[in-house]
Amino acid sequence: MYSIETTSLTKSFGDLVAVNDVSFSVKKGEIFGFLGPNGAGKSTTMMIFTTLLKPTSGKALIAGFDVMKDAKHVRENIGFVQQETTVDEYLTGRENLLLQSKLNHIPKNEINKRIDEVLDLIELSDKQHQAVVTYSGGMRKRLDIAGGLLHHPKVLFLDEPTVGLDIQTRRKIWQYIKKIHIEFDMTIFLTTHYMEEADNLCDRIGIIDGGKIQVIDSPENMKNALGNEIISLVVENNSNHDLFLAELKKIEFIKKINEENLKLILFTSNGTEVIPKIFQISSDLGIKIVTLSLTQPTLDDVFISYTGHEIRDDKSKFNRKIEHAKMKRLRA
Amino acid sequence: MNSIMYDTYTIFWRELKRYKKSRSGVLIRLIQPAIWIIVVGNIFSETQPLIQSVGFEGEYIEFMAPGVIILTAIFTSIFGGVNTLWDRRYGFMNKALTSPISRSAIALGKMAAISLIAALQASLIIGIALAIGVTFPNPLMIIPIMGIVILFSLGFSGISVSLAATAKSQETFWGMINLLGMPLFMLSPALFPLELLPNWLAVIAKLNPVTYTVLLVRELMTGVSEGGVPIWISIIVLFAFVITMVAITSYVFTREVNKPF
Repeated sequence: MYSIETTSLTKSFGDLVAVNDVSFSVKKGEIFGFLGPNGAGKSTTMMIFTTLLKPTSGKALIAGFDVMKDAKHVRENIGFVQQETTVDEYLTGRENLLLQSKLNHIPKNEINKRIDEVLDLIELSDKQHQAVVTYSGGMRKRLDIAGGLLHHPKVLFLDEPTVGLDIQTRRKIWQYIKKIHIEFDMTIFLTTHYMEEADNLCDRIGIIDGGKIQVIDSPENMKNALGNEIISLVVENNSNHDLFLAELKKIEFIKKINEENLKLILFTSNGTEVIPKIFQISSDLGIKIVTLSLTQPTLDDVFISYTGHEIRDDKSKFNRKIEHAKMKRLRA
Repeated sequence: MNSIMYDTYTIFWRELKRYKKSRSGVLIRLIQPAIWIIVVGNIFSETQPLIQSVGFEGEYIEFMAPGVIILTAIFTSIFGGVNTLWDRRYGFMNKALTSPISRSAIALGKMAAISLIAALQASLIIGIALAIGVTFPNPLMIIPIMGIVILFSLGFSGISVSLAATAKSQETFWGMINLLGMPLFMLSPALFPLELLPNWLAVIAKLNPVTYTVLLVRELMTGVSEGGVPIWISIIVLFAFVITMVAITSYVFTREVNKPF
């Protein structure tokens, strides 16, 4: 049983393809994370799933309903917590949840019970009668998340749930998300550009870049696939550079090599044996090694290995601007 | 149908809650119509002979008081839609759009709330008018007058909500509002009788729904029918205006919010 099923989903704005032929499924009860830089297509995909945008082509089923043909049923079965906090500042916490209950057609005799339940879960019961304007950023976010839970949706969408929060608050929000997942047994689909967040929360991660899914797997498998060690080295420019690379590729423990000018990143399963071999080759070819280090892989490295660039890259900022301009033109 | 009513009420409730919490605005918004009725009403008091020439026996200020009541309704309702832009900017709109409520209900709830707020403002202006000496031949007439103000504002707020849903920015919205608000007020018998307008202006004024609303309120307030328009025509025009605006607004709003902001 799948909560999200999508096949060849594509969304383009003019000539810009924001989401390019994306296909994947999310199992019921899973926490699935979409990881990618700004402008990668995460938010566009989420807007299609939550019926805010219509795809250019392809298909998406949420909780079994088609986002195009059966938008109303999709809306009844999803909770959506947006990136920016959307609670009404001048209403109290409880009034905000009351509004959300009414928007979601919760039966009148259930409303109070449901509000108490989520207030208890996110630990805001004592502050419920205060205006939200007095809440801290983390409390507002918690209230927003609570609003998405009131109608017990089958799928909860969280768009960048901890962006702009400090590290302690971020960890706190993670705890709440885990608690929600256990208590309500709902499928959670989240987007993030924090590696740590994806690593901490998600059962499976899809890395998306330039509108395309680069890989989908569990965080553990992704890290293991790269071997358990990473050697990064910087060399001086030399005419034998290409030969040096070719020789490195022949070393049996090296699984993958990423190259950025003169900086080389080698993914390996046995670093301690590889390092002497690197020195051997470099001295044979007369190449001078400037620095060398041995580290454990993180999801950051996974990201770099699949996309060829770091998650915060100038290229992605540029894309975002184009996307924004295209969207504006569309509205004219 | 039942659910559209419930959804409309939900949005109406939210808008009124927000209005209640921003009470400081109420008095500020009263300043402009109060200046109109106190300052302009007295500046033009010497024009009484002109007013009398069309069969109105009272003071000028009594003639223009219904115009200022409608002025209040026009400006409260035409500014009222601006929070649609904020809602889209700050995510409330997306929250509502991803919930099962209908799109039209969002527009209708906003319009209903704006029209009630406009009626509250107008009733405060009636209070000011009474305080500075405007008299009501029949105080009971205040009930149908409030009814007319509510209906008229419901229609007029549609202009505001549609514009706010269509406008990309605050600047566009305010530009359009200024373009529409004042001319619609001026091209009506709010300040001077229809009979005194040059012919070509009178023709334009007769295409303006504000004209019929002012005539209706004036007739109920002072008992003088003016402009040669029978009361039943004014009533029909008012109802037609409201129904058209409700239909246009739900259509435009639904179409516009489905586009990315």
